[in-house]
Amino acid sequence: MKDPKIVFTGTPGAGKTTAIAALSDTPPVTTDVRNTDPSLAKSHTTVGLDFGQVDLGDGQVVRLFGTPGQLRFEFMWQILAADALALVILIDNSRPDPLSDLVDYLEAYQTLLPSMNAVIGVGRTLECPLPTLDEFSDIVGERGLVVPVLAVDARERDDVLMLLDVVLAQVEARVDLGVEATQE
Amino acid sequence: MTMDRNEMTRHAQLAAEALMADVSGARAVLVATPDGFDLAHAGALPLDASRLAAMVSSMAALGDAASREAAIGQPHCMVVDSSAGRLVMRSVQWRGEPMVVVLLADTSALLGMVLNALNGVERSMGTA
Repeated sequence: MKDPKIVFTGTPGAGKTTAIAALSDTPPVTTDVRNTDPSLAKSHTTVGLDFGQVDLGDGQVVRLFGTPGQLRFEFMWQILAADALALVILIDNSRPDPLSDLVDYLEAYQTLLPSMNAVIGVGRTLECPLPTLDEFSDIVGERGLVVPVLAVDARERDDVLMLLDVVLAQVEARVDLGVEATQE
Repeated sequence: MTMDRNEMTRHAQLAAEALMADVSGARAVLVATPDGFDLAHAGALPLDASRLAAMVSSMAALGDAASREAAIGQPHCMVVDSSAGRLVMRSVQWRGEPMVVVLLADTSALLGMVLNALNGVERSMGTA
């Protein structure tokens, strides 16, 4: 089987590029350009993809892809999610409406998520404790999905590894249950 | 952004219209910011300008990344050569502001003419 692919998606500024850089064994491929959107408080933004690779041991290499965050790049969300083994959704809790942000991603991936290994990482929860993780879980549950929600700091390699552990545990559970994964 | 957006849009619009007039077989021209916003367009776009602007910015950034990784310098142009036409895009700088210009042409357009016309975009924006 080809090296599995894990896709990091989520809101602008949630830390997708940072998370891949924190985890990748090789210098990540980035497609950041200068941001001209005054509503976005960052100097640069990803418009194509991020790419990195991490060896999880025993020679098992995982390919890490990051999507652009803005809704206008939704076409890249779909392109990059094709054949993915798992999806990591990162949400920035300091944005004006993080719950609505999550809904955007749940809807964008609604056809994939029921059979996709996935986890939701919520960032900046110390500075912005609301909404709570339970509120995110409620939104997920209302859609009949079972996706773990965790507080993370995308700058911390251990936190990003924890997200990977969660989705890889789901992969193993599906194998144990004889459920086919989404990846071809 | 260092330049007034309205001024940039005005010059981009004039450049788009000039390109449309210059290239035989051109169906549409779009000028976008590198982060995927439509600045100006001319001609008949077969899709929403905002969507094409985002796609073009992604492709230009991927071209940059591929060139960087392959150590072949800065890309000049990217060409999507399809069965019923071509998308040809070029990253340009105008007064220090980077932009991406894309020309959509039918199969009658000569690629060399399109590339030459795109090369002249910065010049035409400067005199617009």
